[in-house]
Amino acid sequence: MYQLLIHFWKEKLRSPFWQKSIFINILLGFIGIYLALNILMLGFFADKIVAELFPNQDVLAAFNRLLFYYFGFDIVIRFFLQQLPVMSIQPYLALPVKKSTLLHFPLVRSVFNFLNLFALLLILPFFFKVVLSTQTPLYSVSWIVSVISFIAFNNFLNFTAKKYFVKKPLLVILWIVALSIFIYLDIAKIISVSSLYSNALGLLSQTALFALLPVVLAIASYFFAYELLRRNAYIEGVEKQNNAKSTSFQFLSNYGLIGTLIGSELKLIFRNKRPKSVFYLSIFFLLYGFIFYNDQYLNSPYMLTFVGIFLTSNLAMFFYQYAFSWESSFYDMFLVHRISTFNFVLAKYYLFAIMCVASYLVTLPYAFIDSKIALINTAIVLYNVGITSILVFFSGTFSSSSIDLGRSQFMNYQGTGAHHFLMMIPLFGIPMIIYLIFSLIGMEEFGFFGVGLIGAIAILLHRQLVGFISNRLVKRKYIMSSGFRK
Amino acid sequence: MIEILKLQKVYSQSFALTIENLKINKGELIGLVGNNGAGKTTLLSLILDLIKATDGHVKSKDLQVDKTDDWKNYTGSYLNERFLIPYLTPLEFFEFVGNLYGKNKSDISIFMKENEDFFSIEDKDLYIRELSAGNKNKVGILATMISNPEIIILDEPFANLDPSSQLWLKSKLKDLNAKGTTIIISSHDLMHVTEICSRILILENGKIVNDSKTHSNSLQELESYFKLN
Repeated sequence: MYQLLIHFWKEKLRSPFWQKSIFINILLGFIGIYLALNILMLGFFADKIVAELFPNQDVLAAFNRLLFYYFGFDIVIRFFLQQLPVMSIQPYLALPVKKSTLLHFPLVRSVFNFLNLFALLLILPFFFKVVLSTQTPLYSVSWIVSVISFIAFNNFLNFTAKKYFVKKPLLVILWIVALSIFIYLDIAKIISVSSLYSNALGLLSQTALFALLPVVLAIASYFFAYELLRRNAYIEGVEKQNNAKSTSFQFLSNYGLIGTLIGSELKLIFRNKRPKSVFYLSIFFLLYGFIFYNDQYLNSPYMLTFVGIFLTSNLAMFFYQYAFSWESSFYDMFLVHRISTFNFVLAKYYLFAIMCVASYLVTLPYAFIDSKIALINTAIVLYNVGITSILVFFSGTFSSSSIDLGRSQFMNYQGTGAHHFLMMIPLFGIPMIIYLIFSLIGMEEFGFFGVGLIGAIAILLHRQLVGFISNRLVKRKYIMSSGFRK
Repeated sequence: MIEILKLQKVYSQSFALTIENLKINKGELIGLVGNNGAGKTTLLSLILDLIKATDGHVKSKDLQVDKTDDWKNYTGSYLNERFLIPYLTPLEFFEFVGNLYGKNKSDISIFMKENEDFFSIEDKDLYIRELSAGNKNKVGILATMISNPEIIILDEPFANLDPSSQLWLKSKLKDLNAKGTTIIISSHDLMHVTEICSRILILENGKIVNDSKTHSNSLQELESYFKLN
């Protein structure tokens, strides 16, 4: 077990995660601390928030009710976010290590997960501030034991849940629907399931022995997960099925080389875990308009432009921010075959344009909120196709770190570099300057026109601009390809 | 066909590939042998302009490989998995490569038919990343032949291949060579090399220490050379 722990640390310390610029590591560190502090504050003021939300109710009882839903959604959140810490056990299977040790290890390791930390940061302040000070010591102890047992239960349940949820994604939706119905019934005061839970926790004050029930559940979920791992601890268990047919994009090969390249790009998106999750995530971001298109922003044409740039380019930008890094594991292939760098970039440019236009069309209905959105976004889609695309590709030529296509996108900063942040400066700076000029001549209302115009000019010059990118790729060929090989 | 002059690639103080002068003529079948770390793959990568030479250059048909892309028109190469697109099926990959050289789908299906003894797609929906090492190797090797290249460069083509495939590949390479294709392979298998190659180069610590035409005693010579004392 001790050796395994050392290997685990080596795996973490030597992972490509840390092998990026110090700048990014520091930035991520700050974001992490900031988030942790936020959650801690939330936990610390939880009693105030609960009292605010549920006036005339016992704070502890209300908090317990919220806990019920927290644990309910926690299962779903864990399904999406928690990566099972399955250290590759293959190298050990043939060594004289007890199999049970190998199986207990990932389970124990999963406890050190940021979602568990999150839950503790949220619950411990409340425990010390409210429970411990208002309840008997016996009750306090049994309360915290049962709550922590539920966290552990969810943690280990995730091993099992993941297996079934992946097979039947419908179950996740059913689970969410069921929880939503519970919440509805609760709010409508028909049946309150959460109160049952809250009452159950309340019973602890009479019989502390009840705290054993969640403990038993947690232990049971642990052994359930153990059993599952044991049954899957064979090499042949890792086989995956695929759907090559549904994502073949045959029709594109009728459009010559560029069509073939676009087809290959689409296959890259839909047949690999990380680009696929980036793609779906960006579809989700199309909903951001509902947050940003409010009175405050609608009166500022300048802010509308920013929202517009984000909405109509995010699909393309999210994916192409890793342009050229996506191909890192087979970049050599492009170097030895007869394929012009110009066409290689041009295909990407076309797909970028298609994605922008697609998100423009999808977000067009936001114009029902205010008709000027349609006008502004039409100008902006030109800007995105003309300027944003080139900026994103230009930033991509700075990348020289490889990306593993098969890993999940979440909390994955592989391939992220300072250039991703620097790119934002011209991206938003250019419209800002245009608006400044237009407001100087007293026509701020029409700033978007200038933004659209500069985009249109860039589109007319796209062959020159794509040529510029492809020249840069040729110039940086050795640096990029040797970085990708690492 | 390929000319190397004063080529040098320095990685660190301890290792550098240095080749004063090497000429590979049209129609030769070159075997590159040497222990791990001798610089075989480095040399092949330099010929394919995958890495930047510290000094000197490689010429293919009198043109410097780092100055022009023309050599890609007549050179087929497979060094490792990084030459394969992992998320395509083998057929899709062959069609993709074929497309780059102006071959259409029916050309590819004829090509597949011709070589089905070596590689046939039983499971059509399997992605390349899901294939075994041997099958990946086969896909890579076959892909170099789609464009009927004048030069074929393969790094350890016999590795991971089953016996039937090794035999097939040997006769295929001899066949292509007889039709005038220049072939450069590296291998750890001295038998294969002496059997099919017309000229054998021994690399050691980044230098060519032996360059000779294959003759009846080549195998014994190589074996005594590589024998550990």
